[in-house]
Amino acid sequence: MSIQLSNIRKSFANDLVLDGVSLDIPTGETLVLFGPSGAGKTVLLRLIAGVVDPDEGRIIVNGVDMDGVVPEDRGIGMAFQNFALFPHMDAHANIASPLTARRETRSGIETRVREVAKLLKIDHVLGHTPAELSNGQKQRTALGRALAAEPSILLLDDPLRNVDAKLRFEMRLELPRLLKAQNATVIFVTQDYKEAMALGDRIAVMGDHGIVQIGTPEEIYLCPSSTRIARLFGDPTINLLDVVPEIGVQGPVVQLSATDVAISGSYAGAVGKACSLGIRPEAIRFVAPGAPGAFPVEIEAETPLNEKTVTLAATRNHREILVSRPAGTPGPDHGKAHVAIDMGNALLFDRATGARIIAADAPTDEMAT
Amino acid sequence: MNGAVLRLENVDKFYGAVGQGVHAVRNVSMDVGQGDIIALLGSSGCGKTSTLRMIAGFEETSRGKIHLSGREVQTLPPVRRHVAMAFEGYSLYPTVNVRDNIAFALKAQRLPRAEVDAKVTEVTKMLEIDDILERMPNSLSGGQQQRASLARALIRDADLYLLDEPMGQLEPQLRTLLRGRLKHFIKERGMTAILVTHDQTEANALADEIAVMEDGVLQQFASPAELKERPANLFTGTFVGEPPMNVFPVSVESKAERLVLRFEGGQCLNYPESAFAAEVRAALIANGRVVIGVRPYAVRRSEAGAPANVLTNQWLGDQSHISASFANSTIVLVEHDRARVAIGDRIMIELSPTDLHVFDPESGMAISHGRELT
Repeated sequence: MSIQLSNIRKSFANDLVLDGVSLDIPTGETLVLFGPSGAGKTVLLRLIAGVVDPDEGRIIVNGVDMDGVVPEDRGIGMAFQNFALFPHMDAHANIASPLTARRETRSGIETRVREVAKLLKIDHVLGHTPAELSNGQKQRTALGRALAAEPSILLLDDPLRNVDAKLRFEMRLELPRLLKAQNATVIFVTQDYKEAMALGDRIAVMGDHGIVQIGTPEEIYLCPSSTRIARLFGDPTINLLDVVPEIGVQGPVVQLSATDVAISGSYAGAVGKACSLGIRPEAIRFVAPGAPGAFPVEIEAETPLNEKTVTLAATRNHREILVSRPAGTPGPDHGKAHVAIDMGNALLFDRATGARIIAADAPTDEMAT
Repeated sequence: MNGAVLRLENVDKFYGAVGQGVHAVRNVSMDVGQGDIIALLGSSGCGKTSTLRMIAGFEETSRGKIHLSGREVQTLPPVRRHVAMAFEGYSLYPTVNVRDNIAFALKAQRLPRAEVDAKVTEVTKMLEIDDILERMPNSLSGGQQQRASLARALIRDADLYLLDEPMGQLEPQLRTLLRGRLKHFIKERGMTAILVTHDQTEANALADEIAVMEDGVLQQFASPAELKERPANLFTGTFVGEPPMNVFPVSVESKAERLVLRFEGGQCLNYPESAFAAEVRAALIANGRVVIGVRPYAVRRSEAGAPANVLTNQWLGDQSHISASFANSTIVLVEHDRARVAIGDRIMIELSPTDLHVFDPESGMAISHGRELT
């Protein structure tokens, strides 16, 4: 089932949370709502579920206006952060509850509960009541209940938040398969950018009372529309260097560590403007002095990060940059080194507003191929 | 060990009566050298915080000895141990501003004002809180309070610095930067530090050596590289490393100079015997049935390998995580470039002998590591 939101506004008391949110989610899509706490992600879910009503705007599910339709008639499955399990029933009965209510056959229910519990790795605690479950297990039980019902719309509010790192990774791998198999339309809230990129067909980044960018993981990672969004994706975080593009011999250049580094000619319009140059840590390489584009840095610290090595280095004018490379690949000696930037995916932002400066003549050049 | 600042000798912690209550820390011994950064790593309830608090003196040591700078301290009160601790729960003084919270210990020592100010400036710049020094604790975010608490510990003169989840509240963007700076700060000054964390990324980034704990037991105490290359048992093998290590039970067959690893489900990987170091080969053949572990980063695609069917391919910006059905189970591969495979594709998986970790299927203890002898 598809979901359309048009011009949704919602305030609580004097607190404006959502200001004119419009969204079009086709059947079978997994849309991730991503953003800092307080951005209105959960409120948006609750509006779609019908638990709260919008002040203005329309919510259309499969062509039908949901105005006045009570939550239980919307055909939507939910798993919220605060578990909301039936305390007197064990995990098995909790997961089975929507199926029992639909009067499905006993063997059908049994099969479905086992299947979901196995996927979520709670098959060994099905006999436990909520009080006997850890937070992570409660969360998975709530998720299991939502999945077991096979709703055509599934709203999941950070369902992996309390799950430990190893299991969280496994779930991240396995959830999409299950969701696609059900052809469910899914809205998934998370604060973990890796989860957002791994699970989302599209990601809606929330902030400033609405959606600040929506796109595929590729679009968001490679072409974030602002420095704020660029900083939310990637570990280590994108480097943002203050630069003022200048006129160079063969096109615009920026000064890095007292060295001229060429940027794309299509940024000519940015010459003289105060900009931030956005460089992903993986786009910086250690090179021999004298290599094309090389500039000197001083090494401050090296820290391993999930099979990568992250180097904190300072440029000549004492700006810190982060450089990452696959672990085991040769790195710098201690002290001084030279780095070069792969400028192909470099991003330029207006320093005052933080907005990305779109290259003038060749906008598609910025997309990696 | 010469130069050990801290030595734990058979330390136990019981909550309740010794020998009867909850046995939270079990017979832990370790040495921490001057200038080392050590991480106590484990999931909640593993005993890492109890261990830290016994070292600090906030928790009674039920059994065993703690030596600090050559003195036996397990019965001394915290103030006499000469340690500085940053608490997870911040514990800033609510009635004084951030500057005075941080400078408190130095002022109490009657250091000259200029020196105190210089030190405060230095540590707060490093932690990016130099702009909130005049604010009161209750006006700060959790992350700011945490950094103030960390600054207050780091500024002191102590034999040992104890940091309890020092970055747990920080936003991820700041965390990576501050990890590098904190490590630089500690190393430059030759400070000795123990940090408690449940986050292996943090432990790996900061620590010279990591003490992995589970069920109150010190599972392994080793450098990040050694934990990765020589995990002592299946627990550390699968706990440390993200994504987690792939593990598969296999049977080992040796015939005609070839060594065959047969997986559940029938797939085989066939190697010349000479591909394995003699000791690894001997261990494999002698055991017959073993569990092999291979890190997701070490799984390669190669036509010479065994078939697997792609289940997911998730691109995270700087790497791709692929999972594929293999050996009645799932194998995970990580590639640093963007992988061009689709769900349902058949890929061929190869595992290099030097990347295999071999474990005893019953005890879970490591038998050998492919890399160690070549």
